[in-house]
Amino acid sequence: MRFRRFGSFATSALIAGAILWSFATTDVELSRLMSAGPRIADFLGRMFPPDPTVVAEIKKGSAETLRIAILGSLGAVILSVPLGILASETMVSPALYRPVRMLLAFIRAIPLILVAMLMVGAVGLGPLPGIIAVAFHATGMLAKFYAEAIDGVSRAPIAALESAGAGPLARLRYAIWPQMAPVVARDTIFRFELNLRESLILGIVGAGGIGFYIQTYVRSFQYDKAASVTIAVVVMVIAIEAINVALRRRFA
Amino acid sequence: MSAAAQIDDLSFSHSGADLPALERVSLLVPAGESIALLGPSGAGKTTLLTLLDGRLRGWRGRVSVLGASLDPDQPPPRVRRPDTGFVFQEFALVERSSVLRNVLNGRLGRMSPLRALLGSPTSHDLEIARRALSDCDISDLAERRADSLSGGQRQRVAIARCLAQEPRLILADEPVSNLDPARAGEILSLLTGAARVRGATALFSSHQPDLARRFAQRIVGMRGGRIVFDVPTSELNEDATAELYREAEPMPGSGLRVVS
Ligand SMILES: Nc1ncnc2c1ncn2[C@@H]1O[C@H](COP(=O)(O)OP(=O)(O)OP(=O)(O)O)[C@@H](O)[C@H]1O
Ligand SMILES: [Mg+2]
Repeated sequence: MRFRRFGSFATSALIAGAILWSFATTDVELSRLMSAGPRIADFLGRMFPPDPTVVAEIKKGSAETLRIAILGSLGAVILSVPLGILASETMVSPALYRPVRMLLAFIRAIPLILVAMLMVGAVGLGPLPGIIAVAFHATGMLAKFYAEAIDGVSRAPIAALESAGAGPLARLRYAIWPQMAPVVARDTIFRFELNLRESLILGIVGAGGIGFYIQTYVRSFQYDKAASVTIAVVVMVIAIEAINVALRRRFA
Repeated sequence: MSAAAQIDDLSFSHSGADLPALERVSLLVPAGESIALLGPSGAGKTTLLTLLDGRLRGWRGRVSVLGASLDPDQPPPRVRRPDTGFVFQEFALVERSSVLRNVLNGRLGRMSPLRALLGSPTSHDLEIARRALSDCDISDLAERRADSLSGGQRQRVAIARCLAQEPRLILADEPVSNLDPARAGEILSLLTGAARVRGATALFSSHQPDLARRFAQRIVGMRGGRIVFDVPTSELNEDATAELYREAEPMPGSGLRVVS
């Protein structure tokens, strides 16, 4: 009891300390924020009205982003099937699934944008590094989801098939897969939505897609064009979410 | 009289349990008969049936099933597993699969591994599955999903899957515990009848002595992990069954254990 009280005091002190440290050591010039009003107004003024002449670029960029998300997701699914099986407690021994799970946690810990920068360095500019980065990054989560789907099925039908003399792959196909299929469908759609959202900004580091235009227009002070692209991105995110909600309802 | 199963001085404890689930059990299961296993909850019926199905490790004693001895340390070879069929108390169906698919799953051990994986049953496999469906009176449910069935219908699917396996020994764990009395009679008549027609042995556990009497030629009573009696049905007397199901109490020197 006393221990817990000390614990909660220590937690509060730690949070307060972290906030104070951040304020004290960052160049937060509040005066600059105060005088920023006119500049923000000027900036917004230059964004409006958004320049509608960039429709062709938006179409081209969104199509490329969509392709990156689709092919990146496909790559992630292909990688996640074997890795998901190898990360499952019920399919393989601890000596195998423990290191595989650690590997997946390691992959998840690397932000997509960082993977994309490394891939641009490795294979050059364009959509290819984006696709590879999405496939790699998404596998960290998707393989873990697949492993959880395998481990979450009811064991009794598997034992029944084993008792009937079915081998391990036949059990996977006829007792495990039918049970986990809806979970896999739901998780894959969820990950595809994340892939699409996250790949919108990949172009900023040169890994292809619509993000490239945002970066180009901001760098060249064409804020009205950047505004149009931003609006397109927002519309796309909302559309993706709506489609995903509809799909998820189908697999409920 | 040949034996479908022979058990000698068998003892077994579940890991983590303080009392043995089976203690010095010896039993001969005669081939071609229907045998009922009676006994209160915790008597060890499920444990014994599961062990005969080759799914328990670490027991002591000698057990042979259909002429081959079981190894306490490893599962029986896969080719022998279809010969022993098991009807699970909770059915153990694949809920999202069709009734026909569930019954065909019983054929997986009889198919070549490649055919089993490709999911292309031969016309022979299909014929056996259809016959099992019609013997269990569920031909019209073949395309229904298992999760859309009633308890009695699911029990029939579980039995049909077992029959599709073409077992020579059928082990059924309380195959009628979830059913009303009329349905229970139908299912047991179906199970023991199908076994008889196929020349197979049926060993089923039950909590209902009257049903056991109607459908079994032989009755085995278990309590506290031991065999209390093993008699032809005609020799079973009321006192013995009453004694089997009496409330647990310490009985010094009787060899029976308190069932908690
Ligand atoms: N997985 C397990 N782990 C530990 N103990 C177990 C396990 N399964 C069964 N037991 C114990 O073994 C003993 C025999 O259980 P068993 O399930 O064989 O009885 P049963 O005769 O089938 O009972 P019921 O009529 O309730 O189905 C019981 O004391 C039970 O608690
Ligand atoms: Mg039981």
